[in-house]
Amino acid sequence: MTKRSASGLSRRGILAAPLVLGMPSVIGRAFAQTEPLRFGVADPLTGPSAIFGLDQMQAVRWAVEDINSAGGVHGRKLEAIIVDHQAKPDVGIAVVTRLLQVDKVPTFITAFSNVVKAVAPIANREKALMLSVGANSPDIKNLGDYVYTTFPLADVDMRALGSWLYKSQNKRRAAVLYVNHETGTEGAKVFSAAFKEAGGEVVLNESYEEQRSDFTGLVLKVRAANPDIVHIHSVISDFTAIVAQMRQLGLNTQVTSFQTAFNPKMIQELGKASEGIIVTAMAPSAEDNANVPKYLERWQAAYKREPIGLPYTQYFHDAPYILAALFKHVLDQKQAVTGENLRKALLAIKTFDLPLTNRITFNDDHTVNAPTYFWQVKDGKFQVVGKL
Amino acid sequence: MIEFLLTLAILAGINVLLACGFNLILGYGGLVSVAQPVFYAIGAYSSALLSMKLGLPVPLAMVLGALIAAIASFGLSLPSLRVSGDYLVIASMGFQLGIIHIINNVEFTGAASGLSGIVSAIESPWRSQIYAGTIIAICAVTILAIRWLVTGPYGRAITAMRNDEEVFASLGRDAVHIKVTLFAVGSGIAGLAGGLYAHYFLFLTPDQYGIFSSATLLTMVVVGGAATVRGPVLGAIFLTVLPEAIRFLNLPIAVMAPLQGVIFTGLVILFLFVKPEGLFGSKSGGGLDAWQSRAMSSSMRKGAK
Repeated sequence: MTKRSASGLSRRGILAAPLVLGMPSVIGRAFAQTEPLRFGVADPLTGPSAIFGLDQMQAVRWAVEDINSAGGVHGRKLEAIIVDHQAKPDVGIAVVTRLLQVDKVPTFITAFSNVVKAVAPIANREKALMLSVGANSPDIKNLGDYVYTTFPLADVDMRALGSWLYKSQNKRRAAVLYVNHETGTEGAKVFSAAFKEAGGEVVLNESYEEQRSDFTGLVLKVRAANPDIVHIHSVISDFTAIVAQMRQLGLNTQVTSFQTAFNPKMIQELGKASEGIIVTAMAPSAEDNANVPKYLERWQAAYKREPIGLPYTQYFHDAPYILAALFKHVLDQKQAVTGENLRKALLAIKTFDLPLTNRITFNDDHTVNAPTYFWQVKDGKFQVVGKL
Repeated sequence: MIEFLLTLAILAGINVLLACGFNLILGYGGLVSVAQPVFYAIGAYSSALLSMKLGLPVPLAMVLGALIAAIASFGLSLPSLRVSGDYLVIASMGFQLGIIHIINNVEFTGAASGLSGIVSAIESPWRSQIYAGTIIAICAVTILAIRWLVTGPYGRAITAMRNDEEVFASLGRDAVHIKVTLFAVGSGIAGLAGGLYAHYFLFLTPDQYGIFSSATLLTMVVVGGAATVRGPVLGAIFLTVLPEAIRFLNLPIAVMAPLQGVIFTGLVILFLFVKPEGLFGSKSGGGLDAWQSRAMSSSMRKGAK
């Protein structure tokens, strides 16, 4: 018979108690060492912008797969929790709140300037590291301590385009058409300022409201202004419609745009009317990155096409690699995986060598710099025609 | 999880205020306006800008935002007094698009880029708890005030005006006064909701206040039960929680996308046919029956002529 203490507990029981009481923490620690390192991804998976979001998510999935098949981070797998923000600020607030407060992710990546601005206060309040991976509003650098962009902002590529068109392409008179929303107004403003600064003249600066389908009036104004180039800063559907209507009305002026127009579907829809269009891209081309051809082959093998918005998908593909490096740094330092510690890790590492976007360094103002590539549609395909 | 539920409660509370204000105009007044979101926008932007640019304390800025929204409602109600029904819908839509266009193009509202850097109402680790509690209290006071307004003599006058404006006027009562007051009170409540939204979520963009927002509000009122006190309250809560609940099902995109697209319009159509009095309206009062009785009295009078 087991001897019992005065309190009624056996000696063996008393000896076993610390072991039993300690078990949850031991199990918890063991579990914590094997449980996946989770991060959130908020992007449009439905609605008009899903055309970009779906391919961006495929890029993220492939990156996570590759990182995990290479052993993950100290043996722990990465796990992306993907949610749909429909490119709408109010939906973005709802899904990011869920990511941070229900799924408890310490960090998340997102894109689309209007959503990035809407969810930034939540990231700052919750001390969750937020990486903007495809929004280019210059305001993004001022959104708070926890908001960083891995993607160069419009004041990089639009400044470069304005200057390059004047100096290398001898363009002197620009007409600027832009959609009156966040991306359109900011991008057009930076482009106009850069073109004027280089010595050019902006002969027409016209905005239009979203969801417009007839651009005849705008095109006639462009013709009357007689520019050397027409810079269109809009969403992809509008861009295609404006160029189509320009060509139908016999206006064959050189057209430029930004990365949104870097889209094989645009070439498909416009056909010959797309020839000569110049777009910017902030991600390296195959000439500057040996992994890009393999990445494009992967798309061909899986979907028999190129990704929609190739440069954006390059940045999305590389974002999990940045997060993996941050997780590794935090685990190496034996710190808790929190947004606060991940932010400190980002500030400590600063420079990342990435598979598809080469080396990026975070500046003190939360931005990154990258060369701007100029691509032109030639013979139905995008080809690099310049770099600045 | 608690933080998430609190955020949802705050959003539901804001929607309750919006739906209650809209119900005063649409349900009780029978004034079919779709411009309610624009008064929400006016309250939100006014409150945010007053605190950001003039340094006013947030509660004062919110109250002034509500007042500005109420005053702005004269811009719609006074010119529209001579029209009703379909014509009022068109006038209100024009008013809404016009104001949104102005906000979208004026630099000091942040234009199309949106307004960020808004002052937070509360800086505390208990921010969400305090805010949710405050909003629930404001909702309770608003609901009780509306109940008092519509069940008293003034409420009977509103119902009489809605059911037959000509007979109401023939009794020497002033229908214009009631219409303008309903617009002002309903819009003021929307303006207060706007201020509460701005100082919690800290970012505003004109896209939030368009026609889709009108459709959402209309659904809340119709599904809950127009011209009832509790209908829009429960309709707003139901339709705030429903999309979140659907998201938690983690359905495939191929199912989720069409489901989200048809949820609001589908519910309106369903309720119009199956339960026009709404979830909480009764056959004898409230819901779309209230409008039907108005239409009947009007057609009977025409028949008598």
